[in-house]
Amino acid sequence: MAKNNIKLEAKNLNAYYGDFKALKDITISMEEKAVTAFIGPSGCGKSTFLRTLNRMNDYIDGFRTEGDILLDGKDIYDKNIRVDELRKEVGMVFQKPNPFPKTIFENVVYGLKIQGIKNKAHLEEAAEKSLRQTALWEEVKDKMHKSALALSGGQQQRLCIARALAISPSVILMDEPTSALDPISTAKIEELIYELKNDYTIVIVTHNMQQAGRVSDNTAFFYMGELIEFGKTKTIFTSPSNDRTQNYITGRFG
Amino acid sequence: MSHIDKELKQIQEKLLEMWDLVEYQLISSREALLHHDLVLAERVVKLGKKVNRYDTKIDRQCENFFALFTPVAVDLRQILATIKINANLERIGDTAEGICRIVKKLNGPLSEPLAQESRLLEMYDITLVMLADARKVLTNYDADTAHAILKQDKVINKIYRKSDKTLVDFMHQNPANVATGLQLYTLIKKMERVGDQITNITEEIIFYHDAKMIKHRSDKKKKNRNKDDN
Amino acid sequence: MTNSDKNRLKDKAFQVFGIFCTLIGLVVLAVFLIDILIKGLGRIDWEFLTSLPSRRAARAGILTAWAGTLWILVLTTIIAFPLGVSAGVYLEEYARKNRLSNFLEINISNLAGVPSIIYGLLGMEIFVRQMGLGGSLLSGALTLSLLILPIIIVTTREAIKAVPGSIRDGSYALGASKWQTVWNQVLPASFGGILTGIILALSRAVGEAAPLIVIGALAYVPFIPSSPLDEFTVLPIQIFNWTSRPQEAFLINAAAAIIMLLFITFLLNGIAVYLRNKQQKKIKW
Repeated sequence: MAKNNIKLEAKNLNAYYGDFKALKDITISMEEKAVTAFIGPSGCGKSTFLRTLNRMNDYIDGFRTEGDILLDGKDIYDKNIRVDELRKEVGMVFQKPNPFPKTIFENVVYGLKIQGIKNKAHLEEAAEKSLRQTALWEEVKDKMHKSALALSGGQQQRLCIARALAISPSVILMDEPTSALDPISTAKIEELIYELKNDYTIVIVTHNMQQAGRVSDNTAFFYMGELIEFGKTKTIFTSPSNDRTQNYITGRFG
Repeated sequence: MSHIDKELKQIQEKLLEMWDLVEYQLISSREALLHHDLVLAERVVKLGKKVNRYDTKIDRQCENFFALFTPVAVDLRQILATIKINANLERIGDTAEGICRIVKKLNGPLSEPLAQESRLLEMYDITLVMLADARKVLTNYDADTAHAILKQDKVINKIYRKSDKTLVDFMHQNPANVATGLQLYTLIKKMERVGDQITNITEEIIFYHDAKMIKHRSDKKKKNRNKDDN
Repeated sequence: MTNSDKNRLKDKAFQVFGIFCTLIGLVVLAVFLIDILIKGLGRIDWEFLTSLPSRRAARAGILTAWAGTLWILVLTTIIAFPLGVSAGVYLEEYARKNRLSNFLEINISNLAGVPSIIYGLLGMEIFVRQMGLGGSLLSGALTLSLLILPIIIVTTREAIKAVPGSIRDGSYALGASKWQTVWNQVLPASFGGILTGIILALSRAVGEAAPLIVIGALAYVPFIPSSPLDEFTVLPIQIFNWTSRPQEAFLINAAAAIIMLLFITFLLNGIAVYLRNKQQKKIKW
């Protein structure tokens, strides 16, 4: 199916919260420099799956996985993989904008600072670059040292994306990045995603089917912890092969 | 330029490419007819396949656009219009192709005086101007030009209505050439259809830009509308 | 009378009762404050603050007492702050939720309710006798630290809990380790709350006399302590001592000392309130 390389893939992945099996035998490949959308009703496992891709579930008591998740062919749950190194490669943006209660500048360079980078010129350069990438530079360049919490919701979310870009990951995971935003901010974020896919592999979880249609190249439909259908977004949205997919995207259930 | 605009532009570009092909087919059918150019006629017929591929492709693009972007307002009208323009263009291409098939059956070029008398060439000229104007209106909208195109179709219809008598007279005088007369009648009828199709296209363009539905209005209303505009 | 009239009447009645209850507390406090102020305010002057204790009421001052209180405050802070905050951070951020952590949690809450005299006895046994520190400032500070540790731990945990999980997620997602997340995000964000808790705990410690008496703090100390191993007295003990004397003049002294003690307590509470407001203004999640 893919004309591009495979960046991320899951093979026979099962995931459990204690005794509850949240993901059932997921096998999926995500194309490099493309947008893959996960859709499905609440509790279908799409967010859980997204969070296994950078091991954000590690801190949840009782969470465990079986099977493989390969990033560039390497298993990210391997014992030799350090989770902080993994997260430098796989960035994440969350549902609610979550800037740190610090200045805009401190937010953007946080990832670099915790890597031990102290050179001020280097940090400033990196901050400007990622703020430009998210089209936020012009809006914030005069208030870099003001609190990030003073920004609007949409700006905060773009700041969170800039913050993720600053540590130059190759994959960006987005967990319903616009669900807390107004339509205009949402449109800006969607445009941004469209731009970013030139350089990054993007995986996005969304409750908004139209959003999946607008921004993604490939779409995966999850239901009750299973991957029901995966394919080109065009195909899924014009002629899905599974009835459950059809019923979900036409709003007949879920 | 935003993502959705890029997609729309791509679809429009495809449509314009198809338009150029169809225009070429129509012009060439005229040349083939006048000079009995069988090679050219064959080429027009073959081009029909390419036009059909464009037709399918544009339909597919529009379908995807609906599914992926759920367009509203001007975007919705543009895609609806594109689908209908696409269908009409394809029909015009088919007509040109049909004319060339007739050319291949003819024994020689259409006789100039007969062509003049039946005003077939005049129909051709008007249609080609209409088609070129409609293309201009699509890329660079101008309400006056658009409504002028609609008026041109009236001229074509008038020629078509009068052609009966001319051709009946011709066939009376040349009983040996009744076949030619009938072929000529078919050609004139086809050109009349082309005029109608360009009218449809223009109406869709007006709908897309002004959000006004003008087809199926009575002529009186159309005239009133024109008065209002002036 | 309809039902709704009855309900309205009940409502009114309870309102009046509530106001009455609230007033009792306030009136008692006001009477106490006014009494103390009338008796003691005239006694407070520079000399009273800078004089050593004396057998004669008119020449007696509270220099050693408030110096001792200050010493105790500083030492207790130095000891209790890192211990309490670290324990709070550990329990909230690191400890896995299992039986052991549940057990610890319950016990820490219980410790907060243990009478202070018990801590005094514990301090006497461990610090004064076993460790041989005697009735020194250090023994006192260690004992008071034990007393306020549960409070600090509990308030630290509450402050840390108030930091939204999304901030931790954000930090982890950028490749930060647990320690980096705690140090760079959680602690700065919860610092106001932690500080408030510590100050409130200290203002409790400042008023304690019983445990310090148990470990052997003296009522009469004729010098300002110069090291943590010196003997000491504190304001509450001084007050206790003066109020137990028969002469009227010493009671006035006690009132003046009470005013000073209240002043310190209110000051600490005031700082705590100020910090909490400032924190709330700075961070809106």
